[in-house]
This record gives sequence, structure tokens and C-alpha cells, in this order.
Amino acid sequence: MSSVVLLVVLPFAGAMIALVGKLVRAEPVLSVISTVPLLGMGALLVMQFPAVLDGAAFTYSLGGWPEPAGIALTLDGFGWLSSVLVVLISTMVVFASFSSRRYRSTYFFVLMLLVAGMQVVVLTEDIFTMFVGFEIVAISAYVLIAFDRTDEGLLASLKYLLLSSMGILFFLFGVFLLYRDFGTLSLRIMAEDSATTPMAEMTSVHLAVAALCVGIGVRTAFMPFHTWLPEAHAYAPHPVSALLSGVLIKISFFAMLRIIAVFRATYLSDLLLWIGAATAFLAVVWALAQRDAKRLLAYHSISQMGYVLAAFGATSALSLTAAFSHAMHHALFKSLLFLVAGAAVQMSGARDLYLIRPIGRRAPLLAFGFVVGALSIAGVPPFNGFASKQLITSALDHHPAYALLWITAVGTTASFIKVSRIVLPRRPAGPALQITKLMTGLRSAHRVPVSEPASAGVMIHIPVVVLGLLCLATGVFARPVSLLLASLLSPTGLGAFTTTSAAGDPAIPATFLSGAKLLGALPVLLLGVLLYAGTTTVPGTRLARRIERIMPELRTILLFFVFGLALFAAAAYR
Amino acid sequence: MAWYLIGAIFLAGVWGLIALPNLIKKVVALNIANSAIILFFIYFGSLSGDTAPIMGDGAGTPVDPLPQALMLTAIVVGVCVVALALGLVYRLYTRYGTLDIREIERKVWKRDE
Repeated sequence: MSSVVLLVVLPFAGAMIALVGKLVRAEPVLSVISTVPLLGMGALLVMQFPAVLDGAAFTYSLGGWPEPAGIALTLDGFGWLSSVLVVLISTMVVFASFSSRRYRSTYFFVLMLLVAGMQVVVLTEDIFTMFVGFEIVAISAYVLIAFDRTDEGLLASLKYLLLSSMGILFFLFGVFLLYRDFGTLSLRIMAEDSATTPMAEMTSVHLAVAALCVGIGVRTAFMPFHTWLPEAHAYAPHPVSALLSGVLIKISFFAMLRIIAVFRATYLSDLLLWIGAATAFLAVVWALAQRDAKRLLAYHSISQMGYVLAAFGATSALSLTAAFSHAMHHALFKSLLFLVAGAAVQMSGARDLYLIRPIGRRAPLLAFGFVVGALSIAGVPPFNGFASKQLITSALDHHPAYALLWITAVGTTASFIKVSRIVLPRRPAGPALQITKLMTGLRSAHRVPVSEPASAGVMIHIPVVVLGLLCLATGVFARPVSLLLASLLSPTGLGAFTTTSAAGDPAIPATFLSGAKLLGALPVLLLGVLLYAGTTTVPGTRLARRIERIMPELRTILLFFVFGLALFAAAAYR
Repeated sequence: MAWYLIGAIFLAGVWGLIALPNLIKKVVALNIANSAIILFFIYFGSLSGDTAPIMGDGAGTPVDPLPQALMLTAIVVGVCVVALALGLVYRLYTRYGTLDIREIERKVWKRDE
């Protein structure tokens, strides 16, 4: 069997093993075995690496049926990168899940289904199969979010279900329009057809692309489709939060990127750029106002996806590499942050930043991992966040929207100074304590759930150490890593979207750690400290609580969705 | 004409999803909108021929079988989503004793305290 199809079949096999474990009552053993396919997938990906780097694309037709009617799976540079992301973060999350006894066969069954669904989405060439993959991903995600059966989890899961099902209906409508116009479902054939037909003759294709982007946009969670994410990611079980924030939103972003590239929808680039910048900025404002640790991190996921979207919308020579590299780096540091924050929440039984007992003394390794993640997301050299933000700076190249992203960087720094109280031991006296008392006394805008304190387990140290080292390594070796990304992505046809063709060298900066660039990071850090100081004053606290109180209801969320749909349709028919 | 009718069914489903506060009705509205999309495919497929796409004596032009095959999958996926949604609604109902989403949201976040 071809290795391409094994990348999809293996996780399904893992899910089946977990299910058998449930039937024959051998849950602990078979739960562990059910995750072994991840190792197999990792090995396959390593084996394919040299060929993929040479620009080879492996194609496998399911059932031997050729393409106009059959379904093809393709492993090229893009598919390889996405699969590596899926396998790496899922493996880390599996280790973190082993640290708790609560997660048994049912959990691993759904988790492996989620992995399988993501593999289907990234490897398929067939747009209807992509829909099926998205639905496999979505159904497993709904189950995982509600897995602990907490009130918040159930409600968050239902909200996500209603919103994303509505999104996927529009996706399916887009698939219908494409099938009507092209008579095929293969993205490759559609790309060839739309390359020869002038854009002006394909008016309904614009509508189809807008519908597809909206459908995927709900999963990617940029504004105005972001409203489900903070609750879903915050109230999911801790390892699941890491997986959702780390991989799931990237996979849907990559799918959108592919669809835009296939139809050369360059008219969407300005919209994406501004949506990205606005998303980054507004989400960081909300993040700064949160006091629930995991909710704050969830808002940062939205904010960082805004960066990725803005970089992609810039359509410069660098933009594709910049967007991919920030998406990859974000996956590394955000899963790390969610895993440690989850451990901290579990150890102290509280989610409120002001009530969590700092874990610095009890689990120094976890605290150290958290500091690495926080420095990465704040863009402090030499960690990876700094490197990819450098790339984004060059990609945006003094575009007016860059100002918003710069302010976002300040806000990110400030809010991570705020979160650092979950790892650093608190000073016993002084003004900080008074503020803490003041904040603890204030009633939160929404109930912050508490649970019984429990040990975070030993296994959680493995993913934290591995992810922390990767954050550092991808930051220090930023230039080779981004050159590798560029050479993997350039032959895949995704570059068709950017203005300079894939043949042009995406001018990767020669050095990421020059003195001038280090100095350039300094004002952001200083302003971040100032901003944090500002939020701890009484007016700052009041303002933060007012912002935190704004929580859209389900109906508003759905209306946001319709607004976003109108936005995309307007961009298509401008 | 049929196109407009299917479009109206779809919009009715979307409207119900947004406007109705009752969770069961929301799920049913989702199902209605889903059916409209399925009808889009099936109706488009039915225009391409006049007999069933089964190997026969060759009388008449068979319809394009692909939309029908696709919609079988879409129906199955839709059933899964609706089943899961109803499961979640049931859980919420047993805890809060109401199906009104506004009331459930208020109770979960305890906003009116």
C-alpha cells in the first residue's frame, strides 16, 4: 500500500483499536496501543522527507479509480508540513493525556478520529472529501470539548456545533456551485480549468469561493467568526485545548489557503489582510481583560491567527513562508502554554489567574516550559515567536495595517506578564498584593469554575520539555528553518496566489538576530511592561472588567456569521 | 422555479437557526437547511437525464450518479451532527430544565446574580 493512504488509514486503525479496548474491557492497554499509529505516521513522514524536499508529489487514487470521478490523495510539500504538524502536536497531546486516569478508550477513540479527520483534510485533492474530513474533525471536536461533561463544556460544544454546522452548510453550497460549473470535484482539475478560463467569465465561482472561505472561516476563527473559540478552547479538557488551539485552527486555515490558491482569488487578499490585522488587535484587547487563564490563552490563539492571516493577505514574496512559519511556531508555543496552564489549573483547582497557586516551586520544569512559551509568544529573541514576527514584518513591508500588528505585540507582552503569575511565586507584600486582593474581591463577569485540586501527573513533563526545546531550536535556527519551509512550499502551486511567482526567491532575511533587530524588539517589551502596569491601576482594572463583561449571546454570534458572509460576498463582487 | 423554492427552504432553515430561541427548534432548523443543500445537489443531478443510473437496456439517458452518491454521504454526516446536537441539548435540558438558549446561557454564566 502506498504510504500516502497509510497516513490516513493508520489513525483510523488506531481509533478502531481503542474501540475494541472498550468492548473487550482492556481499556488501559489498548488505549496506549491505539496511539501507536502516530509513531508509524511519524516514521512514514520521515521516510518521505528527502523525496518531498526534492519537489516530488505522491498521489494515490482511492480504490484505483482515476481522478475526474475518483478521489485522489496527494502528499506534496504542503501536505507533508501539515501532516508533520498534526502528528507532532497530537503525539505531545497523547503524552499529556496519559498523565490523567480520566482519559480512557472513548477519549482515545475520539482523539484518533480527530487526527484521522485532519489528515483527510490536508491530504485530499477532492473538495467533497475535504467536507467529509471537516465533519469528522468537527464531530470529534464537539465530543472532546464536552468530554468532561461540565456545564460550560456542554454549552460551548453546542454553540460551536450550531455555528460551525451553519458554516459547513455554506461550504457544501460552495461545493455545489463548483460541481455545477466545473463538473468535477478534484481541486487539481479545477485549478487547471480556472487557469485557462478568464476570471470575468466565472462569476458564480466568486460566490463559491466566498461560501467556502466563510465555511472554513468559522473553523479558523478569525473575526467575525471567532466568537465560539474562547469558550470551546477554554472549557475543553486541558490536553484537548492544546490540540484544538495548536493544530485544528491551522488545518482549516491551510485548507482555506489552498482553496484561495486554486482559484487565484487575489481579490480577497486586501480583505484577508485587514481582517487579520483587526482580529489580531481586537482579540489581544479581550485577552488582556480576561482573568480566566485558559480563556486568556484562547483569545491569544485568535490574535495570533490574525497575524498569520495578515501575513498571508500581504501577497508579497515572503508572505506564504511568513504565514506558514508563524502558524507552525504558534502551534508549538500555544500547545506548550495550554498544557502548562492546564497543569496549573489542575494542580490548584482554580482557573482564575488571581486564585491559581503559582506552580513555580512545585513543578519548576513546567514553570520553565511556560516561561519559554510566554517569551516565544511575546516575540522575545531568540525564541521562535521573534523569528516569525520578523518574517511577518518583512512580508507586510510598512503596510498601514502593520501598525495594528505592532500594537498587538505590545498587548501580547503585557498580557503574558499578567499570566506569569501562575508560574512565578507571588511577592508576599507590597502594592501587587493589594491589587491582588482588590481583584479577588471583585465579582467576575462570569462564573469562573473551580474543581478539586489534583496532581498534574508525570507524563506531562515529556511534551513540555520537547515543545520547549523545539520553541528554542526553531528560534535559534530560524534561517535554515524558514529556508526549508520556503523550499517545501514553493513547488506546490500555493505560491500562485502571491504576486511574485513561486520561481522568485522569497528573500528570507540573512540573519534573524542582528543588533538592530534586537533593538527593534526593545520598545515593544518596554511598552508592554508599561501597558501591564496600566492594567493594574484602578481605572485600568475597571476598563478590563467592562471589556470582559462583553460576552455575545448565541444569537449575536450567528448574526456575526451572516455579517461575515456578506463581507466576503461583497469582496468577491466588488 | 424549483431553484427559488429550494433557496427559500434553505433561507427558512438559516432564519430558524438564528431567530428561534428553543434549542430543539434550532436543531430542526439546521436539519431543514441541510436538506435544502441536499435538494440543490439532487435537483441539479436530476436535470442531466431521465432514468435511474442503473445498468439497464439502454433506453433513456441515465442521470449523473455522482450527486446522489455524494448526498448519501452528506445525509449520513447530517444525521450524525443532529444526533450529537440533540444529545447535548438533552444534557443541558436535564441540568437546567429549560430549552431556551437565552435562559441556559444566563444560568451557565450566572449573569443575573
